[in-house]
Amino acid sequence: MDSSAWGLLIQGAWTTLWISGISIAIGVVMGLLIALLRVAKIPVLHQLLGVYISLARATPLVTLVLFIFLTAPTMGVNLNRNVAGIIALTLNTTAFNAEIWRSAFNNFSKEQREAALAIGMTPWVYFRRIMLPQITITSLPGLVNEMSFLIKGSPAIAVIGVVDLTRVTNRISAVTYDPLPPILAAAVLYMLIISLLVWLQRLAERKASRLAV
Amino acid sequence: MPETAAVSIRNLSKSFDGTEVLRDVSLEVQPGEVVSILGSSGSGKSTLLRCINWLEQPDRGDIRIAGDRIGVSDTGKPMSRRELAGMRARLGMVFQGFNLWPHLSVLRNVTEAPIHVQGLSKAEADERAMALLEKVGMADKREQYPYTLSGGQKQRVAIARALAMQPKVMLFDEPTSALDPELVGEVLGVIKDLSKEGYTMVLVTHEMEFARAVSDQVVFLDKGIIIEKSHPSEFFENPKTDRVRRFLELEAPAV
Repeated sequence: MDSSAWGLLIQGAWTTLWISGISIAIGVVMGLLIALLRVAKIPVLHQLLGVYISLARATPLVTLVLFIFLTAPTMGVNLNRNVAGIIALTLNTTAFNAEIWRSAFNNFSKEQREAALAIGMTPWVYFRRIMLPQITITSLPGLVNEMSFLIKGSPAIAVIGVVDLTRVTNRISAVTYDPLPPILAAAVLYMLIISLLVWLQRLAERKASRLAV
Repeated sequence: MPETAAVSIRNLSKSFDGTEVLRDVSLEVQPGEVVSILGSSGSGKSTLLRCINWLEQPDRGDIRIAGDRIGVSDTGKPMSRRELAGMRARLGMVFQGFNLWPHLSVLRNVTEAPIHVQGLSKAEADERAMALLEKVGMADKREQYPYTLSGGQKQRVAIARALAMQPKVMLFDEPTSALDPELVGEVLGVIKDLSKEGYTMVLVTHEMEFARAVSDQVVFLDKGIIIEKSHPSEFFENPKTDRVRRFLELEAPAV
């Protein structure tokens, strides 16, 4: 592999990183909002979100990517490949994150709330200062786990022509007729990205252990 | 004219799922007074305490804190969340299970409400908190997190946390029931100091000797009704009812 092949690989890795990164960022926040809406048990909305979560969790990523990319034009929206990829990854990861957040909400102790209300906090101050920080800490291991699943599933966006870290290896071997080196190099890059997340996860778990009273 | 009562409870009733746990309870706590609520489990004593700061909403009756009604605004409608929070800030509560916030250090547990409810600066809140942690003997643990503390230490921090809001009345809900026997003393010691300093306190407890030593008034609840209300010496030496006499024989056998 020459330096231009490495250049392509790094470009592919960058594509994987930024598309996954945006999806993760939106997905974590959207997951929190959806969990909040579900915990509030607003009729109809509660069921609708439940259906969304079940569908998004049951649909293979590749199918979801294709579905978004192919249906958007029929509704008069012309989606750029990258945007379609981000939407599909976000729809997928949001659903999983919503469930992670929701279980943290449901397991949160009511004594924490009583201590906050008794001392004179409004429900909003309680949510912001007492509940959310703790729920974030307890959810982090699960969220980081889901992040690494998403990154490992992200080659699905190659089906609509996004040149990510996996797809780029095809392009390199199409020139060199030697598929093994680029695949190995890509594997190493994936491992680097994932090990960064694993390291983050360990930090998160150490923080979470503090909450076990 | 008598002083306005620190806490005034009138004709309070409360049911859970059709079971009446408090029946027409009335009680006045004067400023500076220590009142102990006794009774066997299920007598409604914790519910009574939790009604005072509206953690439980009574079905009937009214509760006033230094003359102001809690839970119901002047127009007769339920209080807004903000009004209710303002009333609750005047009452400090200490729970059986401590309920410290585990994501905050000892110092931040104590400064949290002064900063984010009362709007104190961090420096002012720190100063107030350190004085209180000093008082409960926890100043050297200020940077530690709750999970590193013993039950007695947690409860002392919880007391400092409640005091940091400078409440008019302190409510204690079985503050030593979750503690190992050898840790009970350190918490009771702190509460006793507070009673000497003139804090107004309402205390639900199973510690008979302690109730006798610190209280100005003892109230005995049985099946949601106050059946005795008297001075501790009268209550413990000369109970008026058979029910209390039996209770005392079981809970505090004569030494």
